[in-house]
Formats: sequence, C-alpha cells, structure tokens
Amino acid sequence: MFRGAISIWRRDMLVLRRSIVSELVSVIAYPLTLYLAFGVGLKGYISDVDGIPYAIFIAPGLISMTAVNAAFDESAWSMWFHRKVQRTIEEYRVTPITVYDIVIGKIFCGFSHGAIKGIAVALVIFLLTPFRFQLLHILTYLFFIFFGSMIFSCLGTICGTIIDKPENIGRMQGVVIVPLIFMSGIFFPLSSYPAAILPFINSLPTTAIFEGARRALLSGSIEYAYALTIAATAAIVFALAVIIFDRKIEE
Amino acid sequence: MNSAISLQSISKFFNGLQAVKDFSLDVERGTIFGLLGPNGAGKTTLIKILTTLMRPTSGDAVIGGYSVLREGKSVRRIIGVVPQENNLDRYLTARENLVLHARMHGIRAGEYNPRIDRLLELTGLTGRQHDFPDTFSGGMQRRLVAIRALVHNPLVLFLDEPTTGLDPQSRRALWDYIQSLRTTMTIFLTTHYMDEADALCDRIVIMDHGKALVDGTAAQLKEAFAHAHVYELEFRANSDRYEEILRTLPFVAHFGRKGNRFRLELADEESLKPLMDRIGSADIKGICLHEPSLEDVFIGLTGKKVRE
Ligand SMILES: Nc1ncnc2c1ncn2[C@@H]1O[C@H](COP(=O)(O)OP(=O)(O)OP(=O)(O)O)[C@@H](O)[C@H]1O
Ligand SMILES: [Mg+2]
Repeated sequence: MFRGAISIWRRDMLVLRRSIVSELVSVIAYPLTLYLAFGVGLKGYISDVDGIPYAIFIAPGLISMTAVNAAFDESAWSMWFHRKVQRTIEEYRVTPITVYDIVIGKIFCGFSHGAIKGIAVALVIFLLTPFRFQLLHILTYLFFIFFGSMIFSCLGTICGTIIDKPENIGRMQGVVIVPLIFMSGIFFPLSSYPAAILPFINSLPTTAIFEGARRALLSGSIEYAYALTIAATAAIVFALAVIIFDRKIEE
Repeated sequence: MNSAISLQSISKFFNGLQAVKDFSLDVERGTIFGLLGPNGAGKTTLIKILTTLMRPTSGDAVIGGYSVLREGKSVRRIIGVVPQENNLDRYLTARENLVLHARMHGIRAGEYNPRIDRLLELTGLTGRQHDFPDTFSGGMQRRLVAIRALVHNPLVLFLDEPTTGLDPQSRRALWDYIQSLRTTMTIFLTTHYMDEADALCDRIVIMDHGKALVDGTAAQLKEAFAHAHVYELEFRANSDRYEEILRTLPFVAHFGRKGNRFRLELADEESLKPLMDRIGSADIKGICLHEPSLEDVFIGLTGKKVRE
C-alpha cells in the first residue's frame, strides 16, 4: 500500500537533501528581510498591536507564509516539471503503482518542503526575538503550519496539474496566492477591516491558517471555527487534487 | 490464448482526428514484433494505449492475459517501456534512476542491486553510474532508458524507436541484446530503420493513418512486392539506340536510365520474352530481377509524400 507514494516522496527528499543549504538560504532570506524591515527597522513608527510588540505580532505570519509558499511552490513547479519537462510522471505511470500513489506522493513532498522550510524560518526568527514562546503554544502553532502546508501543497498540485504554461503558474501565484495570504492579515490586525467585510475575510481558509496560527502561537488558544475551516478545506482540496490529477493524466 | 498482446478493435480519437482506426492484432508469445509507419501513423498512440498511458476511445487490449482497461496495474507489473523520448530524472544519478524504478516495482534491494550491476555492465555504463544523465551523450541516455525498462524483468517489452540517435555500434549491440531477450520476452517495437526491422523482427506490420496495411515476415512482405516486374538491365554499348527502342515498346510501363544501366518496369511477367526478342542479346551485359527492399515495400504502400 502506497509503496509508490513513499518511493516518490523518498526521491524528492533525496533531491532536497542534496541542495538543502541553498534551498534554506534562499527561502529564509525573504521573510527575514521583511522581519528586519518591518519588525526592527520600522519599530519606532509602528505601535504595539493589542499590546503585542509589532515584531512579535508579524513573526507567526511570516513563518506561516514561508511554509505555505514553499509548499505551493514545490508542488506546483514540481508537478509541472515532472509532467511537462522531464515527463517522469509517464515513467512512474508505466510501473505498477496507481495515479493516487503519484498525486499523494507529490502532495506529501510539497507538504514536507513547507514544513521543513517553515520550521527553519521559525528557528531563525525565534533566535532573533528576545520573546520566548511556550512549548505548548509552539505545538499548537505547528498544527496550523502543518495543515496550512497541506492545503497549499494540494492547491499547488492542482495548479501544476492543470496549467501547462509555466508563466501561468507564476501569474496564479501573483494574482491569487499572494493576495490571499496578505489579505489574511500578516502585517495588520483583522480589526483594521471594515466591519462589513470582516465576516467574509474571516471565512477565508487563509485567514483561518494565518490568524489561527498567530493566536495559537501568541496565546496558545485554538479557535475551533478556524480549526474546522482548515480541516474542511484540507479535506476538500486534497480530494480535488486527487480527482483532478486522475482526470487530467488519463487524457 | 497463446498471444502475449491482443488488440481488440482499438480506436483513438483526438478531438476530431482519428489517430487509430479499429485496430486489431494478436502477437504471439516470444515474438519480436515490428510496427512500421510514417510520422503520425499512430504508432506511439498505440504503444501508449497498450502501456496504459492512454485510454482508447473504444476497444480493449489484453497484455499477458490482463485488460489494459480494467487491470492496468497487473499489466504494468509485466511490461517494460522505452518511450520515444527519454524521460530520465535529471536530478537523480543513473543508478538512482534505476533504483527508483525497481522500488516502484516493489523489488527489494538485495534483488535489484545485482541485477542493476549486470545491466550497467552490459551497456558499458558502470563507470558512469554515479553521474547525472544530463552529462551523458544522447546514446548513453538512450541505453540507460533501455536498461531501466529491464530492471524488473518484464514479460512484454515495448520499445518506441529504441535505436534512434544511436551510433551503428550501439545499435547493433542493442539488436543483439534484444535478440537474446526473445526467449523469455515478447517484444513490440517501432522503428523507422528498415534494416533494423529486417534484421530483428519475426513479424512486421506497416501502418498508416491509424490502420494496418500489411502484415507478415520481412521475406513475405518483399515477396508480395516482388511481382512488380522490375528488372535491371545493363548494356555494353549503344545505350542511346536501345533507349529509343525501349521508348516505343508498349509493354514497358516505366524506365529510368543511369549511363548504361536501365531500370525497367514491365506491364506483366509475360512481357519479358517480347522484350528480349526486340532488343536481342548482342549488347546485353547483364539483366536481373530487382529484389525489392523493405524500404521499397514501405514507400510503395505509404507513398513518397512527406507527412506534415
Ligand atoms: N496528445 C495528442 N493530442 C492530439 N493529437 C495527438 C496527440 N498525440 C498524437 N496525436 C496525433 O495522432 C496522430 C498519431 O500520432 P503518433 O504520435 O501516434 O504517430 P507516430 O506514428 O508515433 O509518429 P512518429 O513516427 O512521428 O513518432 C498524429 O496525427 C498526431 O498529431
Ligand atoms: Mg511516435
């Protein structure tokens, strides 16, 4: 059972291991720059948010953002690359595994990238922040990172499966993924939104991931509405990714 | 039920275009079967259907007793595939490519390692096994793809233009190897090299526009084309005079000339005697029946026009 998925996952982890240093440097550079610019550089200009220093307020969002972006990137580009460039998916498909093995293996690869890179950024930011988070808070926070990575890995897999032109994957990230992430309040509290659109913002899965993660890390609390949104979204996008891959690949 | 591969009325449409038309075929176990045809004839489409990469629009195929429609996984357990275009993983070394393939087949390391060693040895890739395939020449990559298809010891091997891009030495080495496999395997290959089909295949089908045109051994196909009554005629002298005579003969359907050599196409077999009566034997240096090559058969069936 899932022999194929495990083989594919091991292959991707082997490839990741070979380039882990450069991968981590490039993936940490961006959130770290944002953290230093906003959290440290602009510190004097931005007041505390609900009594929390701004640098600490944005830290969980930056970590989550790194994780979900890495998951999406890996899944979308890897699926596209193996499907259109290397055509390795075709090689996988003439061995006695199922299409479910392939898509599930790929989803877990994206998830692993997200989780590893998110944790790496978390370690760096935690080292730079004088504030010490409680272990229990960090564990609940990991729940959100894991599910967030899972959801974005499935979304990436869907994009990499249905989009044939690489520039369109880039557009998808710019027009859909990045706005969704920023709208869910990485850099500002949700209370900044007009009351009229707040229910809509709150119902977004990305809000559940980012705001839920922040509350988990800062206060250790799990918002059950957010957790429910995340679990339901994960189930739906996972099923969608599997179904779409199955349809598309059979031609 | 001794056929290794059995195609039952396979059709494949690509939005409007019918790439394969109601194709039926049985290939006996232990055969080296060659599928020939011009570009776009539908060879690769057929192989993709037989290897479960593509679903036929209608019809079914049975490989080693398993239906490609309903028992894809069982089919894939017993087949090896060399696709038309190399699909190696350039982020894995040559050996890792082979190992991944073995793992997908659920083979244990104790079993696949010696087998991989032997296949690498056989194709002269042992020294390069820890290099990445994009540092390989085209021929080396092709050989790697070929042995990857053999790691799990398949019963039926599909080769889509296996020797394209290989030098004559590698080509012959691969032929020899394919020949040596035939005792245990059924081999289904496509090729554009007529000499390859001639040398290698027990049975040949030439297809075009999604349909089979002829089916038989290389000798049978040539035989069927031999009564085209084509003769090669060579004169010692006076060739210009003979050309005038040939032009007037009603039973010479066509002729071509290169110096003293003529190539004649006669209306039928009975025309040979009246021809000899007219030209006599004084100046004739030689006359022989032209043996058609497989290429003549191919061109005769599929025409000279280049496909778009
Ligand atoms: N995925 C596809 N979508 C649309 N049309 C296709 C597709 N694959 C093949 N075709 C068409 O089907 C026909 C048969 O193609 P196929 O690749 O099977 O030819 P072939 O005999 O392998 O040719 P070649 O010798 O050039 O490899 C062609 O007209 C081709 O354009
Ligand atoms: Mg082809």
